[in-house]
Amino acid sequence: MSLGNLASVGYFLPELTVTATILLLILMHVVTKSPRSNAFGFLSLVGVGAAILLSGIVPAGAGKSIFEGMAAYDGFAVFFKVLTALATLVVIFMTMDSREMDGRSQAEYYIFLLSTLLGMFLLSSATDIVMLYLSLELVSIPSYLLAGYFKGRERSTEAAMKYVVFGATASGVMIYGFSFLFGLTGTTQIAEIGRSLAAGKATLPMLLASVMVAVGFGYKIAAVPFHMWSPDVYEGAPTPATAFFSVGPKAAGFAVLVRFYYTVFAAPDPGSALWRLTSAVDWPLLFAALSAVTMTVGNLVAVKQDNVKRLLAYSSIAHAGYMLMGFVLLSPAGLKAILFYLVVYLFMNLGAFYVVILVSNATNGGEDISDFAGLGSRAPFAAVSLAVFLFALTGIPPFSGFIGKVYLFAEVINRGVYWLVVVAGLNSVVALYYYARIVRSMFLDEPTDTAAIAVPGVPRAMLLLMVAPTLILGVYWEPVARIASDSIRMIAF
Amino acid sequence: MMTLEKFLVISAALFCCGLYTVMTRRNGVAVLMGVELILNSANINFVAFSHFLSRVMGGQIFAVFVIVLAAAEAAVALAIFLRLFATTGTVEVDTADQLRG
Amino acid sequence: MAGFIETVRFSDPYFPIFVLLVIALVTAVGMVFLSQATGPRKYDKIKYSVYECGVDPLAPASERVSVKFYLIAILFILFDLEATFLYPWAVLFRSLGLFGFIEMIIFVGILMVGLVYAWKKGALEWQ
Repeated sequence: MSLGNLASVGYFLPELTVTATILLLILMHVVTKSPRSNAFGFLSLVGVGAAILLSGIVPAGAGKSIFEGMAAYDGFAVFFKVLTALATLVVIFMTMDSREMDGRSQAEYYIFLLSTLLGMFLLSSATDIVMLYLSLELVSIPSYLLAGYFKGRERSTEAAMKYVVFGATASGVMIYGFSFLFGLTGTTQIAEIGRSLAAGKATLPMLLASVMVAVGFGYKIAAVPFHMWSPDVYEGAPTPATAFFSVGPKAAGFAVLVRFYYTVFAAPDPGSALWRLTSAVDWPLLFAALSAVTMTVGNLVAVKQDNVKRLLAYSSIAHAGYMLMGFVLLSPAGLKAILFYLVVYLFMNLGAFYVVILVSNATNGGEDISDFAGLGSRAPFAAVSLAVFLFALTGIPPFSGFIGKVYLFAEVINRGVYWLVVVAGLNSVVALYYYARIVRSMFLDEPTDTAAIAVPGVPRAMLLLMVAPTLILGVYWEPVARIASDSIRMIAF
Repeated sequence: MMTLEKFLVISAALFCCGLYTVMTRRNGVAVLMGVELILNSANINFVAFSHFLSRVMGGQIFAVFVIVLAAAEAAVALAIFLRLFATTGTVEVDTADQLRG
Repeated sequence: MAGFIETVRFSDPYFPIFVLLVIALVTAVGMVFLSQATGPRKYDKIKYSVYECGVDPLAPASERVSVKFYLIAILFILFDLEATFLYPWAVLFRSLGLFGFIEMIIFVGILMVGLVYAWKKGALEWQ
């Protein structure tokens, strides 16, 4: 039973907070004389912080369908709202610490950032394809602008151009797929679509639709072969925005991918705790293949990269591949592994980007591995933190990334998809090589400039806040794992 | 007599034209036109399905949203191309090759 | 061919228009063809130059349009399309009641914020 519009407003407080913050930012920018002040950053911090608190306060319970079935308010949505808002919070701190942003108007940057956050909130709770498309575009359009935020810089503009061309095409193909789903079922509610498809037999249009929708979602999570935009965008965009893209929209993309495919093309199996396929389309196999290709391409190409931002871009493609493994298993444990992995990935990836920003600040925009040479003696704290993040990304015990991988691999083995585990295991070995390359450069190579790099108080505290979960979740992960397994409950009304 | 099949054929043709334009044209603005063709082919589908099959307004409302979002996307994309033209003097997609590897 | 002639009905009210169309087509194509076939050909530099009302051309033919038009056009399209949402709302105005009214006020209010932003940024000034 879905709630009406007025009754739903109480479950919509985080979104309303973010919307109000965006409007306030715009009005403040219009009124104020100094567009470069940090006040915009602080206002955004307050808004996002309030949104996190509000997401956590209202209990999700069994879940409700709100706004006449447009969106869901359930544990799954709340989990992703808190996750994406946390990522945004860290990115706001990064932006305030980044020297790239000096001397530029700040207001629009935060407006775009928070608009993307609003889109991610809606995307993780959308249960209607109209809502789904709207929120996907609300994530995409401000992202294009964030990527091209540096007006005079050719690479930034080029990144934005590539992003917009790929993004617009992918969402166009997706919407064409949606039109067939609507035609087959006569409704825009994904739960209704799922029920209606399970009853019918029309396989060819269904196959077409499921593949076309996969293009749109695959682009959002940067799965191979829809990943071509991501290295260029990650390299050209402002570094805080890159960090944001690699975590926020990717997490929201996974949220919508899981909710859509598990509702439309699968249903909970009453006999066991698993899901079963309801349509003749064998999409788990399709996505298993995508997963294997994604992690392999991501890791192999990352080996050759010298630009650290670009290297982390390919590494984040590879991580999307690992997470896709959990998606194809149709089991609660698989979904739980994805959610858990997203939490650890949030901390280790954002932490790595934080150090990249600090190094870039100190070396006048240097982003190559050679700029990290001797960081171990120039800024020991930052270097050790980055080493922790990189080893966690590799998946070495005792860091959190290892536990994340254990959950994923264990469930894949449990469900008997051995070939995928073999591919993923080989990939982890390749990953060690290129992550270790940065670590070696930091601690073994001689720096060209031996002056110490000062790490101010705020970045130091933020780095500590990133390192702590990365270390603690490696030895004591039980609470987060419980939250993850509590959050996989999606409503199917 | 206009049947549903005719609309579907038209929209499929439009979709293919759009995809072909996106993949072959080098000019950024032309690529954008291809995207508009794709979106409009989906719109034809939505309105046709809505009219012939379900008698609910969902598809037509969807079409309105798609039109509005297409305009928003075009506004942003054109602004980006304009900026690209100001920095590099061209909107050719394949001359933008600063980022590679 | 026989099938085509059978389907043409001379009593059709649009038949004269069809005849007119054919005559116009034949005349136009015929004139172009005839002048091509029979006219004398003398080419010189002046004949190849751009024709601009008989005077010397003032500027290149492919003139650039000022970028200011882009901004105005985009703003027009965006605000114009937002008005699309007002039509379904207006149709259902009575059944939506006060709630629908307040919701639309909020929607227009957010649009107003956008307009104020564009205004303050100087997007509406021509110079």
